[in-house]
Amino acid sequence: MLTKLALTGFKNRWRDYLVLFSGLIMSSAIFYMFEALATNQDFLKQNTSISMVGIIFQFGSVLLTIITLVYISYANSFLLSMRKRDYGLFMLVGARKSKIGQLIWLETLLVGIVATVVGVAIGTGLTAGISQLLINSMNLSLHHLAAWYFPAALTTLLLYVGLFLLAGLFNLITLTKTPALKLLHSNEQPNRPQLKPGRQILEVIIGLVAIGIGYWSMANLGTLQLAGIGIALVTIVLGTYFLFNAIFVWLMVLLKRLPFAQRGLNGFTLSQLSFRIRNYTKMLSIVAMLFALALGAITVGMGFHTQTPLMAASSNAYDMGIVNATSAEKRQITALNPTTNVTYHFKAGKKAVYYQASEFNQHPFTTIEMRAKAQLDYKRVTQNAKQLSKSSLIYQLMQLQGSQHQQTAPVFLSSQDYQKLPQTEQHLTVFATNDVTQHLAGLKQLATTQRHRDKGLDKGMLGGRYGNYVMINGMYSGLEFMGLFLGIAFLAMLASCLMFKILSGADADKHRYVMLDKIGTTKRQLRGAINKEIAVLFILPGIVGVIHVLFGLQMFKMLMITSPYTGIWLPFVIFAGLYLLYYLLTINIYQRIVLQ
Amino acid sequence: MQTLIMTVSDLHKTYGKPGTKQYEALKGIDFSVQPGEFVGIMGASGSGKTTLLNMLATLDQPTSGEVTIHQQPITHLKGNQLADFRAKEIGFIFQDFNLLETMTAFENIALPLTLQKVATKKIKPAVEAVASQLGIQDFLSNYPNELSGGQKQRVAAARALINEPAMLFGDEPTGALDSKSARELLDLFTKINWEQAVSILLVTHDPFSASFCQRILFIKDGKIGQELQRGTTSRTDFYQQILDNLGTFEQ
Ligand SMILES: Nc1ncnc2c1ncn2[C@@H]1O[C@H](COP(=O)(O)OP(=O)(O)O)[C@@H](O)[C@H]1O
Ligand SMILES: [Mg+2]
Repeated sequence: MLTKLALTGFKNRWRDYLVLFSGLIMSSAIFYMFEALATNQDFLKQNTSISMVGIIFQFGSVLLTIITLVYISYANSFLLSMRKRDYGLFMLVGARKSKIGQLIWLETLLVGIVATVVGVAIGTGLTAGISQLLINSMNLSLHHLAAWYFPAALTTLLLYVGLFLLAGLFNLITLTKTPALKLLHSNEQPNRPQLKPGRQILEVIIGLVAIGIGYWSMANLGTLQLAGIGIALVTIVLGTYFLFNAIFVWLMVLLKRLPFAQRGLNGFTLSQLSFRIRNYTKMLSIVAMLFALALGAITVGMGFHTQTPLMAASSNAYDMGIVNATSAEKRQITALNPTTNVTYHFKAGKKAVYYQASEFNQHPFTTIEMRAKAQLDYKRVTQNAKQLSKSSLIYQLMQLQGSQHQQTAPVFLSSQDYQKLPQTEQHLTVFATNDVTQHLAGLKQLATTQRHRDKGLDKGMLGGRYGNYVMINGMYSGLEFMGLFLGIAFLAMLASCLMFKILSGADADKHRYVMLDKIGTTKRQLRGAINKEIAVLFILPGIVGVIHVLFGLQMFKMLMITSPYTGIWLPFVIFAGLYLLYYLLTINIYQRIVLQ
Repeated sequence: MQTLIMTVSDLHKTYGKPGTKQYEALKGIDFSVQPGEFVGIMGASGSGKTTLLNMLATLDQPTSGEVTIHQQPITHLKGNQLADFRAKEIGFIFQDFNLLETMTAFENIALPLTLQKVATKKIKPAVEAVASQLGIQDFLSNYPNELSGGQKQRVAAARALINEPAMLFGDEPTGALDSKSARELLDLFTKINWEQAVSILLVTHDPFSASFCQRILFIKDGKIGQELQRGTTSRTDFYQQILDNLGTFEQ
């Protein structure tokens, strides 16, 4: 009987349950995605040479667990607020407390398990989809990546079921300890926004100091090592919380005094926000942190991506050298529209590779000369035979000479001396295109045919820009992938956290909008009010998150050769686009709930 | 004869879509209201009072029939026109106050003005004027949960009146109040009706509230059964008259 009642309650509120379920599924899916990388030791070891990555993942796991905790507590209070009235009614009609307790517990656990199982399944799909997308669009080479990874699924399931067991217990205690009447009338009452200047100034100071410590420790990761990351995470989250707490209420009260507040629904929106903000400060500080992590991860990932061709370009002035290129290969080279394309003749001796000086005087060889320290600061130096023979940069020519002659020094002879040599003449074609990354397919083909002829190249390095590009890309692919993948996962997590929190308040807001409608507010004004209110909740953590990132990128100065701030606009724009999508989705669903 | 402020002709309302279980809540209602009149609509619970009021106040659409306010047909208003009409021509007071609990009394009262984009300078004097008329000038900075039921209902009345509407609608506005607050509110209605010539339409099942009206329409099973004019009778005598009438009307 009671079970049946509980089920009808379920049916009546399927919309709210849909919000609840999709939120939880999203959260567990993302947690799984993260764990699929974090628990996969083979993947981590194979794809990064940086030992810290494993530990960064450990920190990430802890952080994500804390966020999940907060997320589930929100989800649970949403569930509880949905069911309070129903269970209060059951009690009024005389249902036994123990029976109701059982039901609550069962319901909470059921919601949790179903959502988690579905979440893991979706997470597996997302992992496969996103990694394929990233691998293809970013040209990554990865090993041991598995979309379905059992330990990850197990971790996710254990954590979520454990948390829901706790949540069920909590619900059982709250609902059975509260008198039935109180359950029936437990609408939240707004509190008067409190202005306590002394306390708020103190909060601002604590907040700023905490954030300052966090930024400082990120910039000094070299000396602080791992502790720095821990310190930064804690202090920045706390600092952000204090700042939001202190500034927001004050800001709302101040804004309300301006004439702006007395136009249209602005006053209403400000009231809504100050009414909400107590509930939101914790959430917003976590979202700001996640925002920073996500954006930071994407920025670093893309940083490695832009860095790869730059590093390759600083290694050699030529894309590739081909020994004894066939005429077919020569045609392929021409098809690439090379900016330089020179063929030098040589004869290979035991101790030296002999070239004719005249050929090098006619077509000087370009070398890359590094300027001091900063690695990607280089200039191109064109050298003739005489200059080249004295130059230490001659190794750049040697790298192009194929596997057999890679260790053999070039010697430049006069034409007569060259003619006298008994060895058969061979030739070396060197060429450069405008951009390696634009001709990857063509270059790969050339590399393959060449390897066919010169088996040594399989093990040894191909040399030239293309060969270096392939090697560096292999080294960085793991980092790029992790950065982008984590960035997307964190973004999805933070945005669904925010969305879920906002939507869970929609039901309580409904009557306010109905009322506004009754006193003659146009639909346009109502929609405008909703859009503005939610925009503030999205933008605030966004701004703070961006500031955190700008400081947080300091950490990567050690890891990256180019400045982590180069080309930063691109990840920022992509990120803003995705964030905007979430915002649009949120206002859309919210309006559906609130405005019928 | 003065032009009528409101006319209602042959109003029907059937709940439920065709094909499903239908219920005819209003079965042809006709009446009109003079400018400045204070009209009561009485009837037992379930007789269709709220349904009727919702049609008159543009909160719901009738199945057939027409309502005009200030000669303007209102049953087919939509979108911005509807919102404009609600904001400018009519005011409501509900049993459950319907205040925004996130805003102070002042902000609640000012809301219709800000919605109409009235100049900021004019808002404060307007709110203070209507608040002192209703005796709530000292509570303007309070939030609704810091007010008593009677005070809340007076705030709601102030919000309904601030746009100087042609008609004020009340659906059991005293329903959630104790008898003292109820009496104070009804006295205020009488005063406003007298001083500002606002027409008031009050729906109630309570004879005491109804005795403040000048004319009472009795509704039963979705039709107007009877009409009672107060004329020059004193309020207490009118109250007795209503009680007697209810005895025979409801039997
Ligand atoms: N939305 C609705 N759908 C179906 N029936 C309704 C609806 N609203 C009211 N009714 C029915 O119409 C009749 C009149 O209701 P109502 O106008 O609320 O009565 P009153 O306000 O006089 O108590 C009642 O029998 C009620 O059950
Ligand atoms: Mg009613």
